[in-house]
Amino acid sequence: MVCAGFAAVPTFDVKLPRGLDFTLQNSPTAQKYLIETMPGGVALLDYNNDGLLDIFFVNGGRITTPISKLDSFDRHDPKYWNRLYRQNKDGSFTDVTQAAGLANAGDGNYGQGVAVGDYDNDGYPDLYVTSYGKNILYHNNGDGTFTDVTAKAGVAAGGWSVSAGFFDYDNDGKLDLFVTRYMEWDMQHSKDCGGAFHTYCPPGEFPRTTNILYHNRGDGTFEDVSVKSGIASKKGHGLGVAFADYDGDGFTDIYVANDGMQQYLWHNNGNGTFTEVGLEAGVGLSLDGGPLSGMGVVFQDYDNDGRPDVIVTTLPRQTYGVFHNEGKGAFNDGGLQTGITMMSGVTSGWGVGLEDFDNDGWKDLFITQGHVLDNVEKIDPSLHYLEPTLLALNRNGRFERADAGTDALVAGRGAAFGDLNNDGWMDVVTSVIGEHPQVFMNRGGSAHWLTITLRGTRSNRDGLGARVQVNGQVRFATTAGSYESANDKRLHFGLGDAKTAKVEIVWPSGIRQTLSDVHVDQFLEVREPERQ
Amino acid sequence: MTAVRAILTLWLAWQTISPEALKHYEAATEAERLKQFDSAIAEFRKVTELEPAFAQGFVSLGQAYIEKQDYDSAITALKHGLELDPNLAAAHQLIGYALLSRGYSTEAISHLERVDDPGVLGIAQLQAGKLPQAITNLQVALARQPGNPDLLYYLSRATGLLSKELVDTLMAQDPDSPRAHQAMAENYYVLRQMPQAEKDYREALKLRPDLPEVHMELGEVYAGSGQWDKAEAEFQAQTKMQPGNAEAAYRLGNALLQQGKAKQARSELQRANRLLPDMPETLYSLGKAAALEGDTAAAEKAWNHLLEIEKATPLAAQAHFALAGIYRKQGKAAEAEREMKEFQKLQGGAAQP
Repeated sequence: MVCAGFAAVPTFDVKLPRGLDFTLQNSPTAQKYLIETMPGGVALLDYNNDGLLDIFFVNGGRITTPISKLDSFDRHDPKYWNRLYRQNKDGSFTDVTQAAGLANAGDGNYGQGVAVGDYDNDGYPDLYVTSYGKNILYHNNGDGTFTDVTAKAGVAAGGWSVSAGFFDYDNDGKLDLFVTRYMEWDMQHSKDCGGAFHTYCPPGEFPRTTNILYHNRGDGTFEDVSVKSGIASKKGHGLGVAFADYDGDGFTDIYVANDGMQQYLWHNNGNGTFTEVGLEAGVGLSLDGGPLSGMGVVFQDYDNDGRPDVIVTTLPRQTYGVFHNEGKGAFNDGGLQTGITMMSGVTSGWGVGLEDFDNDGWKDLFITQGHVLDNVEKIDPSLHYLEPTLLALNRNGRFERADAGTDALVAGRGAAFGDLNNDGWMDVVTSVIGEHPQVFMNRGGSAHWLTITLRGTRSNRDGLGARVQVNGQVRFATTAGSYESANDKRLHFGLGDAKTAKVEIVWPSGIRQTLSDVHVDQFLEVREPERQ
Repeated sequence: MTAVRAILTLWLAWQTISPEALKHYEAATEAERLKQFDSAIAEFRKVTELEPAFAQGFVSLGQAYIEKQDYDSAITALKHGLELDPNLAAAHQLIGYALLSRGYSTEAISHLERVDDPGVLGIAQLQAGKLPQAITNLQVALARQPGNPDLLYYLSRATGLLSKELVDTLMAQDPDSPRAHQAMAENYYVLRQMPQAEKDYREALKLRPDLPEVHMELGEVYAGSGQWDKAEAEFQAQTKMQPGNAEAAYRLGNALLQQGKAKQARSELQRANRLLPDMPETLYSLGKAAALEGDTAAAEKAWNHLLEIEKATPLAAQAHFALAGIYRKQGKAAEAEREMKEFQKLQGGAAQP
């Protein structure tokens, strides 16, 4: 059972671990190229399977002014590399970018986000990096190095990709790939807005574009099924993406956070096609029927009713979108009930997660914030480019603002969630434009927990898409969500004062598995049975 | 020149002037009708040369100059006409207009005050800085021509300037008075400089805690910056002082609603609705509060009542959207779809990709 009202108070120690010297280079220009304010992603993954989470950061690039038609963004310059940091046993980090084969990021690519998934089921997490330009799929060789297999895999995309995520939409045991794209835009056809103030333009100034769905053929290549799946039937201003089976039909659905318009919920029809049902399902617009500037998104169950809900981060003058899953494919606005409405409205949210930071059995809300305009104060002095991080603790489905461990004002963007030091308490890493990342190390407490690693056999190896219920709480296995970022694949459950746990798993294969009297406070690997 | 005035002028000319002058007068009038102003001016000039004591000839010449937008020549002709007959109302009106067009507003006023044209007189008074008189005359003119965009603009400008003038006077006479702090705070609020606005509102309240509207305005500052608990406290203070103020009750209800305090919000919004029944905004929020409390029947009733009052406004669209939400929750798919269609119709497809 979930322990209601467990009083543990989480606090983070916010400090940069030794060796983590990354700076997110966005190269702001007077020309206000929109890409400058949009990076960059963070991934938490154990790339070398040593049991310690490592951190991958996506970098922007150098923008020359005046812009040259073939701007390389200087990605060959180490300052503009994406970076992989291997965690050492003492909690420090070592930059292994070059040794891992991840130096440079392709000339002409201005980095945005990252997805993590073991697309070839070899037991090592692979990386997919999105860009304005071309995306890159890095295959993890299992020996501490990666190989760029983009050309062979056929997943370069092109245009302006933002977030991406691996998931298995057809339950064939192989991870497919979804990529959001923001708009039809290029450096030569950029413009600035705001008159004399010169600001980044809102997305409505540029044409919408399609997102991309790649089907994994299982031979190291992917097929672009955007058109035949129906995904390309609706254009948008896609930024964030998250996955969950919202209607319990056994197929993973897709939620896309669109900027400045209706949000999309792509219902998986179970036959290789999707239908966009955002409006019909009640997850497309704000409480008052207005469009949302959707940026980050999380698709997990915040009120422990077993159904995945949606939280979308937005710009000020809107409140963060909170869509409670009512069952039977319908959602209702939950902003007022949850208290999230009153915590938003004047801030800009990006990376977002629902994680149980105080292990009381209720998922808490973490949002990294910062306005999209780096000169917003000139236009509206009541708004601010640099904003504090939001931590809101979940008290039986209602959220209360809490101390995030720092009152530093930042231009936060990406956020990835995971247990960095394997103490059973969830940590967070965020990216900050022009600055070092922020690392929120959970101070922990006395409550119990259970962290599960899924080992798929018939399903994809990491069990992404599985529905895992522990003592009544449900998590949907995914590394996707947040904004441009990828989370620890392990599923963490806070258990309050429970001494044992009951684990119920519905694998993507449809196999159901139950484990009773599981010891708490452990990292548990659960292997999918070969048959029911 | 109106048709009646043209006929009268022609009749007068026929009675008064020589046949030769009359011939030129008729030619001038025809040229003017055809908007051939240079020809009209040339013919009217011949009339004034042949009949130098015929005041109406100078008035007609002045009008032709005005139509050609040659205001200086118009002023000269019209002044001559008024020397011949100081009581010519048409001459006063035209010269007032010409003088105003050239920026001589004070001189224009002396002429315009002699005719019944409150709109132009109001504009002249506005330009001359006689703001209270300008507002009076522009209001009279607007009552005669409701919705006239020029009059609306000039009236808004006159009231704005008068407001600023009064605030400047207030600030100059007693800069530390509560009202001066309130005025400063309002100015900061407009500029969205919320910390400064808060500071001055607080100062005003320190000096005069009995100013109910300051609580409301300060509440709005807090509401605008998402500090709903503080907003609630200020709106609460105002409703305590002014229990009959429906707007205060509405704002308090909304502040409570934003914090998810459904029961209190609903109670306050119901009170607002009793004080000032059937305000669509109140009904919309009342529906939200009822829905939040789980009373979907009351929510449905409030929103449907709103839709009886408003059919095609943004708020009506919101009510349809909200109704769709509760029907969806109740599993009434057809009703939800119907309301979504109404919503989308009112949105003009804006929500559609």
